[in-house]
Amino acid sequence: MRDTAFFLGKGGVGKTTLSSAFALTLARSGKKVLIASLDPAHNLGDSLRARLNGEPQKVEENLFALEINLAQWVDTYLKESRDQLKATYSYNLTLNLDSFFGILKYSPGTEEYAVLWAIEDIHCRLAPDYDFVVFDTPPTALSLRFLSLPAISGLWVAELTKLRERILNRRQTITRLNPQSPVAESCVDKDDDKVYGKLRSIKARLSVLDALFSKHSFLSVIVNPDDLSVLEALRIKEELTRLGIPLSAVCVNKQGVSDASWKQTSELSHLPQFIYSFSREGIQTRDDLIAIGAESLMRYFLEEGNK
Amino acid sequence: MPARFGHLIKSAFEVFTQVNREKATSMLEFELKELENIFALLILGGFAGLPSPPSPIAVELLPYMERELTILLSRTDLSQDPLGVLMGMLEID
Repeated sequence: MRDTAFFLGKGGVGKTTLSSAFALTLARSGKKVLIASLDPAHNLGDSLRARLNGEPQKVEENLFALEINLAQWVDTYLKESRDQLKATYSYNLTLNLDSFFGILKYSPGTEEYAVLWAIEDIHCRLAPDYDFVVFDTPPTALSLRFLSLPAISGLWVAELTKLRERILNRRQTITRLNPQSPVAESCVDKDDDKVYGKLRSIKARLSVLDALFSKHSFLSVIVNPDDLSVLEALRIKEELTRLGIPLSAVCVNKQGVSDASWKQTSELSHLPQFIYSFSREGIQTRDDLIAIGAESLMRYFLEEGNK
Repeated sequence: MPARFGHLIKSAFEVFTQVNREKATSMLEFELKELENIFALLILGGFAGLPSPPSPIAVELLPYMERELTILLSRTDLSQDPLGVLMGMLEID
């Protein structure tokens, strides 16, 4: 069952507008919907004309929205490791050196992981209260990085787990042959070994996210009638295919915004296309979002979800 | 007197057994230390310019890797002559 929708695409193609219109259309059809913005530069609240924060806020009947607080997620995510490091190196407290562990938040890749754990929290803690969850994503680069993390990290965790199992096997053998060996003082069982336990818990969390992206999500790429956004959509499709994540639909937004020629690539043309005209009056209210006309996309999403 | 003699024999036998146990496991312990060293290197490779797992994974594992870090540091002493250490372990002159 696909009960989660992601809208991807180049910056400025209209991801927030279309995802808002889609979520609003679903909500007004009677489904209880949560829409979450993962973009560090949020404008979901502007689009829905509502004040949002990190927890779901009611926008109107059946529609709830939130904007993830990335800085707070980075802190939450690093807190456990930082506390553990502080406990292990507690002697540094006397010299007040523990404050330097704060630098961990600037470690490369931390922001992508924070987005990932925010998605996990929404999926595991909040999603059960809703019929559908819609994600408004950041521009392509960050989105592809967090979508690829479960697969890439999964490979590392699998190899590290194999190596750890070998280490624990060797420790068991040595302890059995020579109980007085110093090795006997270290962890020999998988259940006692904290590193092995940590690897297992990371693997379990990554598996949930991997299944969410590849099996339970409806991913739609948004393009504008210009070659640049189409080429970027093509790169998104190639990257997602490599990761085993299927793309479900293409939305052509701002049709008629210019007379410049453009062409859809054959690689995307086999996917269902949904076309949205450019609104010259702009989008001022939530009813303007409904006027975009996301019903056909919603119907297709519901049909695909039930397959 | 016979009891003391018996105790002496028992102690000698225990030492003999323990020496044999140490000999039997020394090669395994060497291999184990190398495995633990490799594990630490893989986690901390980023610091030495090696490919490493996404740093947040390393950050999550790091607090539990005190033993591996100690071995990693002690292994640096052997890095000057790793073959010599291995030959010594195998008792090859």
